[in-house]
Amino acid sequence: MLVVTWSTDGAGNCVVLDGQPYVYARTTAGEFVLPAACPHRGGPLHLAALRPGTTRLVCPWHERATSVTRAVRAGVPAVRCGRRVTAVFDLPDSTPFTVEYRPLSDDLVGGRA
Amino acid sequence: MTSKLPSYEPFALSAEQLREMTVRYAVNPLYLDNEEWLNEDNPFRRQLRPQVLPHLDFSTTLSRPEILDYSGLAAQRLLTSIYEADLMFLPKSGFAEKRADFAAFYSSSNRQLGELIRPALEQHVFGFLDEEVAVTGAWTKDSFRAFTERFETREPAGPLPAARAIRESTDPVRAAQMWLVQFAPDFLSEASPMIRNVLGYYGAVQSDWFKIIIDEYGYGVHDTKHSQLFERTLESVGLRSDAHHYWQFYLNSSLMMNNYFHFLGKNHENFFRYLGALYYTETTLVDFCESAIEVLTEVFGDTVDVRYFSEHVHIDVHHGRMALEKLIWPIIEQCGEGVIADIVRGFEEFQVLNEIADADFAAQIGWMDGGPANKALHEPVWAAISSGKVSAPVAHLVEPRGELSNTHLHDGDELCHIVSGTMRFVSGLNSYQILEAGQGTVIHRNRLHGAVIESEECVYEIHSVGDYRACLS
Repeated sequence: MLVVTWSTDGAGNCVVLDGQPYVYARTTAGEFVLPAACPHRGGPLHLAALRPGTTRLVCPWHERATSVTRAVRAGVPAVRCGRRVTAVFDLPDSTPFTVEYRPLSDDLVGGRA
Repeated sequence: MTSKLPSYEPFALSAEQLREMTVRYAVNPLYLDNEEWLNEDNPFRRQLRPQVLPHLDFSTTLSRPEILDYSGLAAQRLLTSIYEADLMFLPKSGFAEKRADFAAFYSSSNRQLGELIRPALEQHVFGFLDEEVAVTGAWTKDSFRAFTERFETREPAGPLPAARAIRESTDPVRAAQMWLVQFAPDFLSEASPMIRNVLGYYGAVQSDWFKIIIDEYGYGVHDTKHSQLFERTLESVGLRSDAHHYWQFYLNSSLMMNNYFHFLGKNHENFFRYLGALYYTETTLVDFCESAIEVLTEVFGDTVDVRYFSEHVHIDVHHGRMALEKLIWPIIEQCGEGVIADIVRGFEEFQVLNEIADADFAAQIGWMDGGPANKALHEPVWAAISSGKVSAPVAHLVEPRGELSNTHLHDGDELCHIVSGTMRFVSGLNSYQILEAGQGTVIHRNRLHGAVIESEECVYEIHSVGDYRACLS
């Protein structure tokens, strides 16, 4: 398994593992590791918004919905300490990774105004 | 039948009830201001400054930037007293004269009042961890194993931040003594919070945890009990070893570190968090103690007794392993993978507290060393205030000879200005400036300090400037 630590915000807020980017989402419905690319057609999930009144995160491309509740309960195991997140991915520990920047929607940074 | 019962209401005090009960607890004569800086072999006397408590609001949760503010220190002092009413303390000598204090400290009234306010105080000072640390996702045994393996193979931590602060201090001996004093609340009653976890009935882990405690207690041979080893360390560098002799010089974060384990151990719903924090502390204590031996020997030479630390370099190699292999893994087997999140949480939380304590200690040493510079800053800051360039709330005070302002701190920078008389302004153990009429000092936010009047009378002013740098531009 691969253990990776990166930042929840700023220049290195996205870890790319084997070509797949992940960000750390802090929503009003919970916190979780979020694949930044939608599994449907690769849409920018890091810019997704919560469907009003629900805990469903909606991809801005084709409106595919992701359950925040499920991601919190059954997603990638991770711990955030301040602005630092450590996650354990089910990948070989030799998997190369890089960190880069992805802008995050307001709903993914605690629902800031 | 049950339909006629009232619904269950969890216990909670209103903000006003909490304030009233806290003051009622703290006006116990045991907790009033001391006329001296140090307590004389009386573990029941703890200065809680009850006169300030009506002005504090413990019903809120302090955020991380606020955690070193005065209400945090006040709450940690209160919690230390409340938790320690569960432990057994006796003075080294003179029990007969202190028996009334003994009875008052362990009285049902003192304990009941403490228990009433304890949950709110815990939320006040540890609630920020709910925001600071979040555990998410589906933790499994495999992911937890990978998580701990990375920790076990981490790079060496390097010198302790505290060791750096001591080495860089203008007075390393004073700084190292101040550092050792910070451990007295923990090391003199070492493992007491941990013992809270071995009471009850829960299987083989209970017995394995007891083995760690046997080590901490020196296998029943008193001279090898870890607290005894620490007493020898204190005495070897000219410090006293009676419990809470240096109560007024404990930093907020030093009490916080010790109280955290009481908080987890007292509230058994936090049992799994305790295991995570235990694993972190037992594992990292080896590096900590090696670094401590180095810096203490550097500062004090060969006369310092470092057996407390060398014992831990050895035994905590075992305790770190035992915490993981004999406590944590069996508990996961027994209780399921659902408890891993709490274990990870405790592991991370104690790192947060360590970071806060490292920064707090380094800042305090900087504050103590900066006494002459802070005294010199009085002139430009006072000029800004007296010229009307800066306007700040001011308190006018008149105090007689010997009046001792027990140690405290402020939530913003302040200027102390002496109108007449003489004040000894104390910024830490063996650290002070003499302030005469027309002189004064800048008091930095969150820095522990106190004062004693050394003239027949002293008239002085405290100006709450907020940020003293604004007075310099």
